Amino acid sequence: MAALRSTSARILGASRPVFRVAAPVRGFANLADAAQESQTASGSESKLKTFQIYRWNPDTPTEKPRMQKYTLDLNKTGPMVLDALIRIKNELDPTLTFRRSCREGICGSCAMNINGTNTLACLCRIPAEDSAELKIYPLPHTYVVKDLVPDLTQFYKQYKSIKPYLQRDTPSPDGKEYRQSKVDRKKLDGLYECILCACCSTSCPSYWWNSEEYLGPAILLQSYRWLADSRDERTAERMDALNNSMSLYRCHTILNCTRTCPKGLNPGLAIAQIKKEMAF
Amino acid sequence: MRLSGLQKQILGLYRECIRECRKKPQASRSHFQAFARNEFNRNIGIDKKDFAAIEFLLRKGRRQLETYASPGVKDIRV
Amino acid sequence: MASIARSALLRQTAAFPKFSVATQAIARQSAIANSVRATAAFHTTAQRALLPPLPQHVDGSVNDPAPVPAPSPSHGSYHWTFDRLVAASLIPLTITPFAAGSLNPAMDAFLCATILIHSHTGFQQIIIDYVPTRRVPRTRKLFTWGLNAATAVVGLALYEFETTDVGITEAIKRVWSA
Repeated sequence: MAALRSTSARILGASRPVFRVAAPVRGFANLADAAQESQTASGSESKLKTFQIYRWNPDTPTEKPRMQKYTLDLNKTGPMVLDALIRIKNELDPTLTFRRSCREGICGSCAMNINGTNTLACLCRIPAEDSAELKIYPLPHTYVVKDLVPDLTQFYKQYKSIKPYLQRDTPSPDGKEYRQSKVDRKKLDGLYECILCACCSTSCPSYWWNSEEYLGPAILLQSYRWLADSRDERTAERMDALNNSMSLYRCHTILNCTRTCPKGLNPGLAIAQIKKEMAF
Repeated sequence: MRLSGLQKQILGLYRECIRECRKKPQASRSHFQAFARNEFNRNIGIDKKDFAAIEFLLRKGRRQLETYASPGVKDIRV
Repeated sequence: MASIARSALLRQTAAFPKFSVATQAIARQSAIANSVRATAAFHTTAQRALLPPLPQHVDGSVNDPAPVPAPSPSHGSYHWTFDRLVAASLIPLTITPFAAGSLNPAMDAFLCATILIHSHTGFQQIIIDYVPTRRVPRTRKLFTWGLNAATAVVGLALYEFETTDVGITEAIKRVWSA
């Protein structure tokens, strides 16, 4: 059942129009690619690939962080970077630490910086065509807990500060559920899919410099998700919370967030919508 | 002696630890104090110029303090 | 950019990729340390970057929401709208004098004022971004007042230029054809 469901999700994902040009490193798995993968795997020669991974152990804090190299045979490894990481942990070095859960881009745990791009390891294919070393770092400008595990305390605290839940004072007319027209529901498409992986926030230079006060693209996208919800009745209050020089207006439309989002969302557009709605 | 900002923060953390110890039940208070002292003593040899390590330990210490300060934690063994 | 963006810890690793093999490294450690010291001495501004990351500061416990600042539209939405209006009005203001070929001193003065405000708010954004109050409150104050003073001086100069000299549009015209 699980396999069936993921296949249908992939087909759906493929049929959806993609507006931006995907980086060559990254791409969603689809069935054609999988078929190719199995063909190449039948070839007997081994395809070696070296991974350079950021290592830092909190038990010996005086030691400087270092890059450790691991070499894997790609024919025996799954297509994604997460597969390689799991294999390294299982077979080469059990001390390697990273977060992972769903391995299909739904939980947002395995966000890391792969070859200079913040992305989810489970959605990032290992570039097989070139033999260059793949560099894996934790999310940039985060406090590192261990190896590839960043400390996202501030990120989650900021998420909590925008009150990410439905706020209403009036009960629903039929006393059962809060109804919404199809048009209103459509406004939430492209917003509700965010999995809070923090890829966008940690790629935003404004967030690097002012993460204490600026909310960052991920949180602002979520903020707009509640501003745009027709059922929410505290829109004015939510806008007031953003109406200062730091929380929202540190966004300078750099659009790193939109470029890096592993789910293909557009936080830059959401922030622009908030600004537009708040302008006079 | 003039203390640097980091040194002040560490002393502040230590004071905070001792204060939190007083909120614990009388019987286990000394255990908590011994634990806090031990945690600080363990890293006493760190070079005072190694800011990255000290800042990490400070961060870890604050997190530990928050965990152990919760009223559910009644006793501790070093 | 990526190397600047990394935290101090990371940058140090990037500087020593050779250290990945610990056994080899120990012998060469002292040599590299010496060269680093020499480099540090060469660069007068030590190894600290412009804005090194501060030690992590968490307000309240891990489960508390981050504090929400008090609303101030004059620094928020009004400021932003005003900014956009000024920026948008600059386009017709710069084009019309040359397109129409006529010189209107009132319009010239308005163009000067708009450019002045536009550059003031632009620099203000830079100061807010890179001189954060919570890190360097006094430097922030210095920069803000420095910017105010600079804007006042430039404003005065433009006023003098407009009233006693030819005016900005005419000046550009002359420089262009010279």
